[in-house]
Amino acid sequence: MQLSADNAAEEPEFQVIFMPSGRRGRVTKGTAVLDAARQLGVEIESICGGRLTCNKCRVQIEDGKFSKHKITSDKTHLSPPSVEETQLLKKLNSLDCRLSCQAEIQGDALIFVPEESRGQKQIIRKSAVERAITVSPAIRQVYVEVDHAQLGEHRGDWGRLQDALAKQEGLVNLSIDLRTLRKLQPTLRQENWAVTAIVWQDREVIDVLPGFAEGIYGLAVDIGSTTIAGHLCDLRTGEILATESLMNPQVTYGEDLMSRISYAIEYKDGVDKMHNALIEALNKLAARALKKAGLRSRHIYDAVFVGNTTMIHLLLGIHPQELGGAPFALANRDSMDIRARDLNLRIHPGAHVHILPAEAGHVGADNVGVLLAEEPYKQEKITLLLDVGTNAEIVLGNRDWMLSASSPTGPALEGAQITHGMRAAPGAIERVRIDPLTQEPSFQVIGEERWSNIWNLSPDAPLAEQPQHLAAGICGSGIIEVVVEMYLAGVLLPDGGFNIHCASPRLVWDGPRGKYLLATESQTTTGQPLFITQADVRNVQLAKAALYAGAKLLMNRSGVEKVDRVILAGAFGSYIDTKHAMVLGMIPDCDLADVYAVGNAAGDGARIALLNKQKRIEAQQLVEWVKYIETAVDPDFQEEFAGAIHIPHRSDPFPHVAGLLPEPTTRSKNGFRRRSRRAVLDHQSA
Amino acid sequence: MSREDDLLDELYDYTIDGEREKVVALTKEGLDLEMDPLVILFDSLIPALEEVGRLFEEGTFFVPEMLVAAKAMQGAMDQLRPLLAQTDAKPTGTFVMGTVKGDIHDIGKNLCNIMLEGAGFEVIDLGVNAPEQAFVDAVKEYKPDAVGMSAFLTTTMPMFIPAIEALKEAGLRDDVIIFVGGAPVTQEYCDKVGADGYAPNASALVRAVKEKMGVT
Repeated sequence: MQLSADNAAEEPEFQVIFMPSGRRGRVTKGTAVLDAARQLGVEIESICGGRLTCNKCRVQIEDGKFSKHKITSDKTHLSPPSVEETQLLKKLNSLDCRLSCQAEIQGDALIFVPEESRGQKQIIRKSAVERAITVSPAIRQVYVEVDHAQLGEHRGDWGRLQDALAKQEGLVNLSIDLRTLRKLQPTLRQENWAVTAIVWQDREVIDVLPGFAEGIYGLAVDIGSTTIAGHLCDLRTGEILATESLMNPQVTYGEDLMSRISYAIEYKDGVDKMHNALIEALNKLAARALKKAGLRSRHIYDAVFVGNTTMIHLLLGIHPQELGGAPFALANRDSMDIRARDLNLRIHPGAHVHILPAEAGHVGADNVGVLLAEEPYKQEKITLLLDVGTNAEIVLGNRDWMLSASSPTGPALEGAQITHGMRAAPGAIERVRIDPLTQEPSFQVIGEERWSNIWNLSPDAPLAEQPQHLAAGICGSGIIEVVVEMYLAGVLLPDGGFNIHCASPRLVWDGPRGKYLLATESQTTTGQPLFITQADVRNVQLAKAALYAGAKLLMNRSGVEKVDRVILAGAFGSYIDTKHAMVLGMIPDCDLADVYAVGNAAGDGARIALLNKQKRIEAQQLVEWVKYIETAVDPDFQEEFAGAIHIPHRSDPFPHVAGLLPEPTTRSKNGFRRRSRRAVLDHQSA
Repeated sequence: MSREDDLLDELYDYTIDGEREKVVALTKEGLDLEMDPLVILFDSLIPALEEVGRLFEEGTFFVPEMLVAAKAMQGAMDQLRPLLAQTDAKPTGTFVMGTVKGDIHDIGKNLCNIMLEGAGFEVIDLGVNAPEQAFVDAVKEYKPDAVGMSAFLTTTMPMFIPAIEALKEAGLRDDVIIFVGGAPVTQEYCDKVGADGYAPNASALVRAVKEKMGVT
């Protein structure tokens, strides 16, 4: 110990900063970048432990003087790469990078950790909620002892197996998958005519195993346009053995559904590319879950997939062109069973993938999954269910009637189309509070529990006081909160315009356009201030108005004046603060105690249908029963939409949050930079 | 200042504020005072809508403010229209507008119509999901100065192409100035589909149309 202390005293220390997290500290000369990262609490992916095989730990060193970070960084401040490292980086086409396990600190360094190297990947907030599910799977495993073949008896081995299954389990009219038939004879003879048959839906033998075999498993997957999330379940107990999620790789071809449809239209191989990327991702997801559970792909005998209609089209390799425009015709609305091997899915090749039905062109199996999970159709109370995403699905009703609609909210509520918008990932601002007296904000980013007002950002801040991550942008829940908080603090008027009478230095005017300084340059990864602009507020207003107007039209249509409960579904739904959602006027007035966020209920619905085959029938009946309303062409849509643009609403009352709302204020008449009639006329004649 | 001048100022302000009832009352009062309907229109209502458009463009006004202002102006126009018909005043121009086939988005197109009407255009609205033939028929029937095609989705904006093609085939292409617009549309896309003009918002559209038509 004495020795290392001496060494530390001899070896100089250098300032090292990791971006985008902004973690900084002093590191002894000669420390590998990977170790420096670990010392400063920055996660870099590395699997091989410095053996130059995993290629995961690539980082970039910045060149130049960075006054914002008070550091001068240079390539020569890292030890030169070895021949092996250079060769490897060349092979990877990343000569601008270094492997952090190889490069050693030789001077002050500003190091950028690219997204793919970050240990902590996108936070995917899709998880299974505890739900009581009756386990009644579509797969049964039947152990039978089959009559031996003998001379003078010509049923055939399949006939003998059928007889055994009929006699023991009453299973009749079975068919057998050709693949299974091919292996039937040796399998029967392997354990003296005792086999375990895997029977799907009491209709088809999809596998036979020698002797007594135990264990049937299934995969339930929600294919979101952004995130794919799946549960691997034990079909006998219903237990979840593994939950996995990953990004939908189709994001490369288009952020939202419509741009993916455009991609399919524009490029001949577009559908194939997106289909293959999706299948590959599903296989990756299944493999990861299987590994976690210690199982093999052949153990997955059943699967249920849900997803929006475009995802299901692409999953099946069907061109989604028709979903790109009215009348939004689906290739098939009803539920389907597709052989796994037809999709090149690496689960049991005889397995069938069950795909839940859709309700309408843009109300897909994912929404049906939410309904199965929440069962508003069994309640007396009137439920408004909002599945919020780029395209929101809205369902209203109870056990007697149910209406559904889809509303093009756009991606603003997910952080897109916002100047500094980003997905829910480390560094995303997800919570905002603004002091109504000082108009000073404080925020929380994903990856750091402390609010920004207690971050220590001085160059010599002790590690414990530094945030785990600086602000990289703002995600959906943060966007909603900042707009509502600005409104509550008087920064923003109910019409959504910035308040010229607000004197806060945080509110900056660029001519007639205001913008609010949420994060200062020292608080962000970019070193640039993070403003919320008027256009950002307008995009949030448009999105929330589309949602509210859709809900209101369904209420008008059914003669409902007030809903008993509101359910917010979707990955994003679970992180919305319900109070903020209501003050914004995104959801209609309701007792806040009856507003629930249920997270990824679509995935839960898939799991329910996986474990209970009756639910698959229920889902099909449901889509034939729910009445779909095309709200966009409703003559009242424009009126409802315009009314809902104000915060919370131009005319609808919100008694349950009324106590929170500021006194109504409006732009003073004839004030606000309005030109006089004379001025306009003079301008015209000029 | 005469009552007439005050009235024009009040009418201007209430139109911008979207106070329909007051606007209707003031218009009636003006007509009772035997004011020239053309003066009410050109010296108060049209400037008011121009100012609304400017406020919208600079970000002060938003969709609802524009819609209520338009409703207020409509209230005044209901009073003025029979009288204007008796004058030999011509509209600034005639404009055929529609959202293309496959697209059911209405509001952006309606905002354009408001600003065009506010600038004295006669607007023929083909509504949403308008097939190519609807554009051809409308151009034949109304002989407009310009045609506007709106699309809100990347998947529906390619429908500009068959609509323009149909006008070409009918031999009407060169009789009209064709404008395209909508959220995903750009000047570059406008050039690509062979339209004559693009505008990013309703006020800019009015300016662009007037410029192409050579009117002020």
